[in-house]
Amino acid sequence: MLGDVAVRLHVPGPLRPYCGGEQRLEVGAATVRAALEELARTQPALHRCICDETGAVRRHVNLFVNTSHVRDLAGLETPLSTGDEIAIIPAVSGG
Amino acid sequence: MPERVILAIGTKKGLFVAESSKRRHSFDLRGPFAPGVAVYAALVDTRGRPTVYGSSCNPFFGMKVLRSTDRGRSFKETKSAPAFPKDDGRALANIWSFASGDGKKELWCGVEPAALFRSEDGGDAWRMVDGISNHDHARKWQPGAGGLCLHTILRDGNRMHLGISTGGHYLSNDGGKTFEASNAGVGAGFQPDPYPEFGQCVHKIVGHPDAPGRLYMQNHGGWAEWDGPGGPRPGIGVLRSDDHGHTWYSIAKGLPSDFGFPIVVHPQDADTVYVLPLEPATRTCPGGQPAVWRSENGGKSWASLKKGFPKQESYFTVLRDAMDIDSLRTPALYFGTTTGQLWMGRDAGESWSCVFDSLPPINCVKVAVV
Repeated sequence: MLGDVAVRLHVPGPLRPYCGGEQRLEVGAATVRAALEELARTQPALHRCICDETGAVRRHVNLFVNTSHVRDLAGLETPLSTGDEIAIIPAVSGG
Repeated sequence: MPERVILAIGTKKGLFVAESSKRRHSFDLRGPFAPGVAVYAALVDTRGRPTVYGSSCNPFFGMKVLRSTDRGRSFKETKSAPAFPKDDGRALANIWSFASGDGKKELWCGVEPAALFRSEDGGDAWRMVDGISNHDHARKWQPGAGGLCLHTILRDGNRMHLGISTGGHYLSNDGGKTFEASNAGVGAGFQPDPYPEFGQCVHKIVGHPDAPGRLYMQNHGGWAEWDGPGGPRPGIGVLRSDDHGHTWYSIAKGLPSDFGFPIVVHPQDADTVYVLPLEPATRTCPGGQPAVWRSENGGKSWASLKKGFPKQESYFTVLRDAMDIDSLRTPALYFGTTTGQLWMGRDAGESWSCVFDSLPPINCVKVAVV
């Protein structure tokens, strides 16, 4: 059940097998951290791909709220507003 | 179905499976599975229905365990991968080893940072083994160049030997409940104390069921010329134990280098052991001339096996889990290189040929006859 703040979470292609193939998920959360906590409850396999077992976002995973990286906002405490989109984007690293 | 030889080849870019008849004249290659993702550990489990396991070490999205029950034609992720308890503070960085356990379903798994996990259901659920993972020494171990990894799990009844880089050799006499560092005679070249209680950079340990108590170890050698604190420590790279790993002694005399990563024992002869010496500074073939070295007397003397290898200008590396030997009556050895070549040594290593020459860099090679 969504909370008062309904946001969309964009799932990149490689992670869609971990959430039933969904490209977008609706979550109700007032912060990015709360959104991840909801994912841990509702989509645990997807959450494990984004966060390690300590709860930290994996080193090569970037989270954007709309067009801004959360590190340029308030990190996991970044507040969310209805209609915001969280994008999970793998970092660029080659080799 | 006639017996088939199955090779699981873990590479920097995914898991490959090669299959051949017992004649081993040609191998069919399948894969890559989990394409683009490094695979450091594999196991061809011959208990019951043959099952191939591979670790998929995704730096983006975390570690997965792959499992195939159709001899490596298709793989699925198990329901979960090893993970540290939430309040532990450590996070899984890599999966380095699998070993089969009792019954048909028990599996053991060594990971980075160095810890041991056990599954009772073929890899779907995992539980951390506290006796080593939370050992008093665990927070003092330091990573080697490859990371702080538990890479060797060797079971002998109720005994269990673990190899940790850099932690050393740990021995359990109670089936894996408790462990003690057991490194008497195992040298370390990278600290003033040449023979510490623990902290050695063990590279691989092997044993043989026909020689109870005997173990062979490839340790981090290459310290014969060291002139700093503690002095030189020649020959610490290739070791043997005759007392279940309580004490160790050098068997490196006669080798061109005591540095190397893998060590393998002949399946029908506990006295026949193979190493692949590398130059310690570059970790490549000495003089650009690859050779596997074999002892047929338990390490008293060594001879090179190089028929079929390039005679010059060959500078590859073979990593700790990238050499194995099959169990056929006249076995073949296999090793994979960091330059992506898979070599096979027929007649127990007498004659070598390149089976695949352009795979991605190879991390591990495991073989079984099913």
